[in-house]
Amino acid sequence: MIKYLKKRIIAYIFLISVSAVMLYPLLWLLGASFKSNEEIFSSVGIIPKSFDFSVFKAAWQTVTPYTMGHYFLNTFKIILPKTVFAVISSVLVAYGFSRFDFPFKKLFKALLLTSMLMPSIVTIMPMFLMWSKMQLLDTYIPLTIPALFAAEGMFVFILIRFFDAVPKEFDEAARIDGCGSLKTLVFILVPSIKPAIISIAVFTFLWTMNDFLNPLIMIQSVEKYPLSLALRLSVDSTGQSYEQRKIIALSVIGLIPSITVFAIAQKKFVGGIATGGLTG
Amino acid sequence: MKKRTYRNPVGVSRFTGLLLISPFIAGFLIFTLYPFVCSFVLGLTDYNGNTTPEFTGFENYINLIKSEDFRNAVKVTLKYAVILVPAKLIFSLFTAVILSLEIKGMGFFRTAFYIPSILGANLSVVIMWQYLFTSKGLVNQFLELIGASPVSWYGSPDKAIFIIILLRLWEFGSTMIIFLTSLKNIPKELYDAAKVDGCGSIRAFFSITLPQLRGVIFVNLILQIISAFQEFNAPYMITSGGPLKSTYTLGMLIYDEMFRYNEIGAANAVSWLLFMIIAAAVAVMYIVSGWIKRRDEK
Amino acid sequence: MKTKIFKAAVCLCALSLSACGKKQNSITMPDGKLDKCSLRFSWWGGDDRHEATLEAIKLWNTLHPEIEIIPEYGGWDGWTEKAASQIAGNTEPDIMQINYDWLVSLSPEGDGFYDLSLLSDNSEHHAFLDLSGFDEETLSFGIRRGNLNAVTVSLSGRGLFYNSDVYEIVGAEYPETWDELLALGEKFGKKNLYPLDLDIQSGGTAWYLAVVYVQQKTGKEFITMNGELGFTQEDIKEALDFYKRLEDNHVIRTISARTDEDGNAALYESPEFIGGNVAGVLEWGSSVGKYESVLDENVLEAGPFLTGENGSSGGWMVKPSMLYAISKNTSHPDEAAAFMNFLLNNEECAVILGTSRGIPASSYAENALEKSGRLSGLAKENDDLLEQLDTVTISPYMELSRMKEICNTAIESVSYGTSDTASAAKQMYEEINAYLERVRK
Repeated sequence: MIKYLKKRIIAYIFLISVSAVMLYPLLWLLGASFKSNEEIFSSVGIIPKSFDFSVFKAAWQTVTPYTMGHYFLNTFKIILPKTVFAVISSVLVAYGFSRFDFPFKKLFKALLLTSMLMPSIVTIMPMFLMWSKMQLLDTYIPLTIPALFAAEGMFVFILIRFFDAVPKEFDEAARIDGCGSLKTLVFILVPSIKPAIISIAVFTFLWTMNDFLNPLIMIQSVEKYPLSLALRLSVDSTGQSYEQRKIIALSVIGLIPSITVFAIAQKKFVGGIATGGLTG
Repeated sequence: MKKRTYRNPVGVSRFTGLLLISPFIAGFLIFTLYPFVCSFVLGLTDYNGNTTPEFTGFENYINLIKSEDFRNAVKVTLKYAVILVPAKLIFSLFTAVILSLEIKGMGFFRTAFYIPSILGANLSVVIMWQYLFTSKGLVNQFLELIGASPVSWYGSPDKAIFIIILLRLWEFGSTMIIFLTSLKNIPKELYDAAKVDGCGSIRAFFSITLPQLRGVIFVNLILQIISAFQEFNAPYMITSGGPLKSTYTLGMLIYDEMFRYNEIGAANAVSWLLFMIIAAAVAVMYIVSGWIKRRDEK
Repeated sequence: MKTKIFKAAVCLCALSLSACGKKQNSITMPDGKLDKCSLRFSWWGGDDRHEATLEAIKLWNTLHPEIEIIPEYGGWDGWTEKAASQIAGNTEPDIMQINYDWLVSLSPEGDGFYDLSLLSDNSEHHAFLDLSGFDEETLSFGIRRGNLNAVTVSLSGRGLFYNSDVYEIVGAEYPETWDELLALGEKFGKKNLYPLDLDIQSGGTAWYLAVVYVQQKTGKEFITMNGELGFTQEDIKEALDFYKRLEDNHVIRTISARTDEDGNAALYESPEFIGGNVAGVLEWGSSVGKYESVLDENVLEAGPFLTGENGSSGGWMVKPSMLYAISKNTSHPDEAAAFMNFLLNNEECAVILGTSRGIPASSYAENALEKSGRLSGLAKENDDLLEQLDTVTISPYMELSRMKEICNTAIESVSYGTSDTASAAKQMYEEINAYLERVRK
């Protein structure tokens, strides 16, 4: 019993110190957005001496004719269609791979894997050219349309695993009741792989949020900038009176969307992966 | 309705599956195969974006293999991957095992560990890392607090790569969650039986847990190898490849050749070499894992 | 047959139309009229420049409501890469603020941008671009292979700027000669401060100052206007030696210390500069504003340009800090020229823009600024000091990204001691020659 207790205590010490390392930098960043230049480099504490939200207000205003709100909205104009496209196309493709037999199935599955090995930086240049020939630059189409074609091989893999975990008897029962392939998918299978779908949606959100290079090259006018570009623009530009916390406040603003979405979805998201699918 | 040798439900044609995966096929042709082939073709040319591409055969490849920059980038990328991938896998697995001990507050820990991994190389994180690792940054302030001498991170060619490795380790959450899930799926009976046989928990880990997790370890390994070899964002944003090119990865070399120097031919040749390196690493892992699997099953 | 297949493949993949054997789209000729249209205008810069330019565009809208201007702007980092991919893909904006070296890298044959002589001097109809406010030499900077590709917005040279508070505390005078600069290190070192900062990042001021030193001493040019290397291997070694002496004498931080303290941040964002530990900077007169604004008002002051012991004052350099160009693919050349003319010459616009792009090269704009009393400050002081010197015009070849990289790498290896100055000079000499040969052709 004592041995058991000792083990527990060591485990807790380990877990608590790891979570401190995980969270401390983020909390410090939040606190530092209220600190003066000297305070930032002299204390490791989180709590600032005073709270002053004016930096956030200034950061929100930006140097452009638009507020950060405008750029948030732009980001959502990319994320929303992209997420819907990614979910629909990945579900269809994974359904095909998991439940049907067809010519060259093995070959296509191998291609799915190879497509994940390709350094993504290579594809940017030819893609840029293609979109420019179609005169679709400076629109959100180059950023969203690829999702319509199950461009993330990883999502399809996750979904195939989830589909495989659902017993085939479910489909057969539905078919006996007269459901077609699509109806079976929508009414029988989709509800049982909901956690995976939420995971994919959240991943799409987070990855789009963090993406910098693609929008930099595809989007040209400031009016259409997503948040990542607007942040970079604000950080690069220097204000009249320079303060470290202004940049830190911008960083905090940049972290808010990802953390919020994660907080909302986290039960289904983390818990979701945990309930089934991703087993080797 | 046709019914050939394809094992499909009654009334389903062999084309239904093809139709369902058609978005992938189209996407593969447009977004993977086309740039892939283009990359190979352009890799055989001398081309700067403004002039007519000149066919130069494998000259780009030969020049690259001879060049100091390329060899350095291969070394840096290999060093990065060889340190990061095992460290991240072992740490993730270790943490997952501890979390699976039916611990109170498990939900909190799981979330805390996961949050960093959602942030990627987001500009905000890059700025934060700067405040952590510069000479008067948070990490050195802490070291001073506990009486240790401050460490030179950014300016030291030996340690700069660890700034990036630590960032990616900090983001270990998603790897850990995958392990945690699989750990929960290992039947309890196996452990109970081992206990009866007088097996300690460390031995149980090596004789039950590890073999049971073989599949998921392999999946994680492959995913980590692919992303480690392609690393570009973090060194680009955090260290710009320096000092003394000690964090100058192949991903950065591709970006510089392509966008900074307009050497589109050379950039594509590097891309292909990188692709082949990744494919080789993945193939080796396949062979090794197959070998381990056969050995275990004996 | 094989080559045919290859050509078809390249055509399918390559960015330029010329790859397909097709002629470049013929350019749209001017017709002397202003039509209703919208134009894209791009620039890079900091806050002050963004705000001033957006304000100027507002003024343009009241004057020409039929010609809408769509702004595209951002910071300098990554801007060259973005512009290069736009031009390669023929999707560049109608009017662009371009950097000096783009004339070499993006218009190697002189046809990468619209030929502005078609818009400034046309016997058939009205020309919208008035170049009478520019002298011959200033205009020549925008000429590539005989074509007027761009017009210089302002001329600028790097000068030395110091934190007057810190110099006062230390009790030091601004140095006037190289030896005085080297001697400063000791005084500052006692208080663990530095009189100057040099970098090997995008600025590359470390190599820049070393070049000035050797140019002044030898009267040679580092790289000539035609893209020939003017320095010998021995000259390069002397420049590297000079840099090493600056470090050894505690005039500047070593690269390692500098990187440790600032990480990847720019100097003007660094606590070391803001806090006064580093009390000087080598910067373009046209963009010193960002350093000025992070310190208290009037703290940053322009220092003298260093001279040799024998009084030689040459070797300091000037260049067009930026130029305006028009896209060769624009379908509205008249309108673009009219807008460019507005930016360069319009008096009201000049007052709005102030010195956000340096001291205007156009005499009309300069006079307007003078009259409004806005022609003052560090940019102006730096400009006046430079005018008294016998300056060298920087070769656009020196500004190329790869060239900067070669120089920075050499400085870095000398600073870290991974190679001695002799072998670093040898390697640099060979690499520069090989590279120049490649880009000159």
